[in-house]
Amino acid sequence: MKVRIVVGIIGLDQHEVGAIAIARLLTLHGFEVIYLGRFQTPQSMIAAAVDEGAQVVGASCHSWEFISFAPELAALAKQEGVAVVLGGSVITPGDAVRLRRAGIDAVFGPLVTERQIIDEITRLVA
Amino acid sequence: MRWYGPQDTTGLDYARDLGDPGEYPYTRGRRPIDTTSSWIQRELSGEGSPSRSNGQFRGLIAAGATGVDVIGDTATMALIDPDHSMAAASVGTTGVSLCRLADYIELYDEMPLDRITVSHSLNAPFCVAGLNLAARHHGYDAAQVRGSVINAPIYSEDCGYATHMPYDLRVRLALDTITFCVKEMPKFHSFVEDTYYISDGGLDVVEEMALGFVEIREVTRRLIERGLSVDSFAPRIAILVNCRMDLFEEVAKVRASRRMYARMMREEYGATDPRSLAVNISVHTSGLTMTAPQPVNNVVRGAVQALAMAMAGVQAIEISTFDEAFRTPGHEAHIVALRTQQVIAEETGVSKVVDPFGGSWFIESLTDELEDRISNKIAEIERKGEISVLAEDGYFRSILNDGMSRHARAIQSGELRQVGVNCHTMPPAEDTLLRDLSESRFAPDTAHIARIRDWKSTRHPDRLAHALAAISQAAKDPEADLMAPIIDGYQADATQGEMASALRLGYGLAADPFAGKVVRR
Repeated sequence: MKVRIVVGIIGLDQHEVGAIAIARLLTLHGFEVIYLGRFQTPQSMIAAAVDEGAQVVGASCHSWEFISFAPELAALAKQEGVAVVLGGSVITPGDAVRLRRAGIDAVFGPLVTERQIIDEITRLVA
Repeated sequence: MRWYGPQDTTGLDYARDLGDPGEYPYTRGRRPIDTTSSWIQRELSGEGSPSRSNGQFRGLIAAGATGVDVIGDTATMALIDPDHSMAAASVGTTGVSLCRLADYIELYDEMPLDRITVSHSLNAPFCVAGLNLAARHHGYDAAQVRGSVINAPIYSEDCGYATHMPYDLRVRLALDTITFCVKEMPKFHSFVEDTYYISDGGLDVVEEMALGFVEIREVTRRLIERGLSVDSFAPRIAILVNCRMDLFEEVAKVRASRRMYARMMREEYGATDPRSLAVNISVHTSGLTMTAPQPVNNVVRGAVQALAMAMAGVQAIEISTFDEAFRTPGHEAHIVALRTQQVIAEETGVSKVVDPFGGSWFIESLTDELEDRISNKIAEIERKGEISVLAEDGYFRSILNDGMSRHARAIQSGELRQVGVNCHTMPPAEDTLLRDLSESRFAPDTAHIARIRDWKSTRHPDRLAHALAAISQAAKDPEADLMAPIIDGYQADATQGEMASALRLGYGLAADPFAGKVVRR
């Protein structure tokens, strides 16, 4: 069965290029993507994952809003038994350490390769 | 690789297709040689509260910027007040937070509005109303204020400036803003067609300019239908274009656009004022070409792009800064971008000659080719039906999505080469130059949020309710002007968020577009 992953952008940030690129990449590698687009909240992302029976939730980050929403997103994901990943060019190595500590399962900064993204998400749902 | 020769420009007629700079059809430039001035050098700015942003503007002017370019934070762009729960995580972090008249007054405090131009990436009617009142407050004649605001109602919901308003309301607001400025702020460009934000998801130059022209044409038709003469508003139309890395294509695009615009305004809309025919073109260089790996390479990219646009003869340049991939421009990045413009203007000789590419077999051939392709694309789109229907049906959204997807594919496959991304890469451990700047951040401006929240409770409730009711009432009446009640609204201490809600209510929509979203803090 295909792995289902919810992809969206949380908050008021309207940059969508990264989210569309990642959705496309995941689809190419056999994932089933439920694309939510902009203006999501941690609650709306997790609710969609539950509704759609997705195993993973992924938020694309092109503003600093993720610093604020990550803990809540991680807590809700844990509660529902869903894996949660964050990715985006604004995420620094320092952020990656803090986000993992806050309960985000995988973090993809700007220097990550496509292979690493696919392998990491595959490992999360194995 | 190939080369070009006389055989590639056999159909070119100098007087008909080029003309001297400042002569119809303005292919070679909108003005004759003017040795006294360079293009307007500015950088996109605004961060935190209005007063902090004011300090940023003054710093840039002190460093030699000749214009100011204001962008609102994500909440301001979406017409959401800073004390809204959706805004809490981002107030002031991607631009300035503006929601009330006092904010605009603070933003322009001691700014030389008679000497510099003020450009804005803000929601047009709210920006123009705020600027008009603030300029008057500071003792300036608003009719003398120069500058611009992006005003692009057709695509705003689809590509980055969504305000959760229906097409009809967005177009009305755009037309009312332009109509207001024709009378009250005649030197202000109230209709900047922003092809940058349409295209920087990944559209090519043909799609970029075709969509831009489709919007200019639609707004122009609607203004003429209202009874405005084309020469009353066309001199204050401007285009803010993108500039990617294919510098010849970008130069040819600007030249082709000037020619197409002049012919369109004269032949289709009957403009006769030379200022209606010679379009003002500014550029914001592509943020999408700026990479997170090896960020120092972005300095080079910005320089190449700015040089190309200086040679294309644009009226103003904003360079996307080297830290674009990871943050809103920091101080160091702003200075580097400004210095890049200054080096090009002062040291390279481009300021001494207009249209240096004129007569190049390659550039003239490419200019012709782009004019054909852009014209064909405009015709193809307009044949599909009413613009309003296409917009509401998601037709434009599909073009933008396809562009984003195509760009991602081209980067992933290596078809579009990007140094540091898909060629000439470097191990992350070695990619450290300027990397430390990506860790420097500032927090959402919670003090500003608190200030707005406290101030809201001090307002005169009846006056405020009356002003908001007037906005809703005007929105319900398709013939009513929306600018006057917005100006009254600011003066009654209404906020942008409240006024936007009042407009939505007038259209029978939910006041708060995020009311259904649970946001706990």
